[in-house]
Amino acid sequence: MDFGVLIQMIVWGLYAGCIYILLAIGLNLIFGVMKVVNFAHGEVLMLGAYAAFWIYTFSRINPYLVIPVSMLLIAILGVFIERLGFRPIMGTGKLNEIFLSLGLIYVFQNLAALLWSADSRSIHSPYSNVVVHIGAIKLPLDYLIIIVVTIVFLIAFQLFMKKTTIGRAMRATSQNREAAALMGINVERMDMLSFALGSALAAAAGSLWLISGQMANPYMGAIPAVKAFAVVIVGGLGSIPGAIIAGLILGIGENVLPYLLQAFVAVFHVEMSFTAWKDTIAFFLLIIVLILRPTGIFGEKGE
Amino acid sequence: MKLDRLSIKAYLGIVSLILALLIPLIFGFSHYLLTVLILMLVFIMYASAWNLLALSGQGSLGHAAFFGIGGYTSAIIAGSLGISPFATILVGGLFAAFIGVLIGLTCVRLKEWFLAMVTFGFAIIAHTITTELSWLTGGWDGIPAEKLISVTIPNYILYEYYLVLLITVIVIAIIYLIMKSKIGLALEAIRENELEAKVMGINVTKYKLMAFAVSAFFAGVAGALEIHHFGYITPEVYGIDLSFLPIIYCISGGLFTIEGPILGTILITLLDEGLKNFGFTYERFVIIGLILVLIVIFLPKGFVSIPEKIKSMLKSHS
Repeated sequence: MDFGVLIQMIVWGLYAGCIYILLAIGLNLIFGVMKVVNFAHGEVLMLGAYAAFWIYTFSRINPYLVIPVSMLLIAILGVFIERLGFRPIMGTGKLNEIFLSLGLIYVFQNLAALLWSADSRSIHSPYSNVVVHIGAIKLPLDYLIIIVVTIVFLIAFQLFMKKTTIGRAMRATSQNREAAALMGINVERMDMLSFALGSALAAAAGSLWLISGQMANPYMGAIPAVKAFAVVIVGGLGSIPGAIIAGLILGIGENVLPYLLQAFVAVFHVEMSFTAWKDTIAFFLLIIVLILRPTGIFGEKGE
Repeated sequence: MKLDRLSIKAYLGIVSLILALLIPLIFGFSHYLLTVLILMLVFIMYASAWNLLALSGQGSLGHAAFFGIGGYTSAIIAGSLGISPFATILVGGLFAAFIGVLIGLTCVRLKEWFLAMVTFGFAIIAHTITTELSWLTGGWDGIPAEKLISVTIPNYILYEYYLVLLITVIVIAIIYLIMKSKIGLALEAIRENELEAKVMGINVTKYKLMAFAVSAFFAGVAGALEIHHFGYITPEVYGIDLSFLPIIYCISGGLFTIEGPILGTILITLLDEGLKNFGFTYERFVIIGLILVLIVIFLPKGFVSIPEKIKSMLKSHS
């Protein structure tokens, strides 16, 4: 086993983990405030990536500057999803949320395929050839930027939730909706805001992914969103630190485990590749955690 | 003559069955039409199986796992041992039921989103296992599956249609009997309030696992029928689409009812085929998605509740 390769894999895992974390924080925020889960969150990521792609294609500015615009556009979309979709079915049962999300997935995926074709699109980042050397580790500059941007987003998000009046109002709403309403908080506005903010974070994830060299296509969001939701559950519904830790575990685990397993069976002179299992690791993790602890690692109460 | 609700339903059921028997005679013998109808029947079974599990409050997002496991088991046994597909379809269903119980065991403590995610995950895991066991399953290319009725027989598709129709009627009858029996009531009690059901002396774990087993069995049978109809099977049977379709059919038709999945499958399949013939590709999924969203918001009990809605609207106007 080559430790250089292993460290390289951990770095890739950190990068993938950032995308999961951004998605998971958004899902967590929406769940906290509204107690609903938007399963179509991955499609929001996809639309964010497309927004970034089109703005970049027409303006040709530095792709990283496109991210805020994409976030703003998708935040507005988030408001529409909340107003027109989830608001009318609140309180009618959890199964309805799943069904509504399914409908939204069909609408967004196929609308995107209809408008922009199913071809994969990509952006050429100006830094795509720049590699930073930290000791023996080779780190593409884009990955480093994504990790830093994610950390900045997380700090800004925490400050917003802890220090601002709106952030406090949102936390109050997620703790006790009725009491918050009685204290004069407009809880419906908090619903709207949580959807806007959650969607904007998904758009940021989508844009960052596109810039770092991933392809955008109408179906790109489905699997990352499901994994992000697995991250939310594993970390415990509503727990932000849980989501961060679980996101990193998944990101790194996904990249490192297949490699470790391959090295392990090589000891017994068996040649086997485990890369095909990459997408299943999130669910094995989810199933194991839920069997041992149905509320997730950091969760306090079950749903 | 005054008919009460139940007899209207029974009456409609018999009429639609007669219609299904006569369709090849009325519309003429068309290979395309019969193929659409056979797949429609397969999906009626599949959607009804999903509905039975949903009846217990367990909304699966990964039923394609059972559909695919049933299909692969049946195709592999029929292919390697040379047993008639008529027998292997049952074996496929039984193996799917066995896996269903195993998955059910991990799900008994879970609800709603947690359960949805775990079942979704199992479908992805089943997909990966199948593609990785390529010596058995042919990997991504899949394997041939013996045709249900040999293509060499003239008008084989007509026989196939009546055969699948017969199986569908039997499956629907069994699911109907289960739903109307004590088991069905217990499942509904668990869905409404698990704790209360437990207090009333219902063995929640037993009934939940039973729902998983029966639902997986019929989903497996439906999957086996589909692939023996096509004559081949590929890992696409585990596709996310195939997990979502029965849900769409059940919601649009009417959840937790026997006629809902049937009506939903027929209407959505006809709509889909109709739009396909107009040359719509992605548009038709956008339309179906929109219909799903609108139904969840405005018609949560599905198409079967339309007569009641109209009745109550007329009442409120007069």
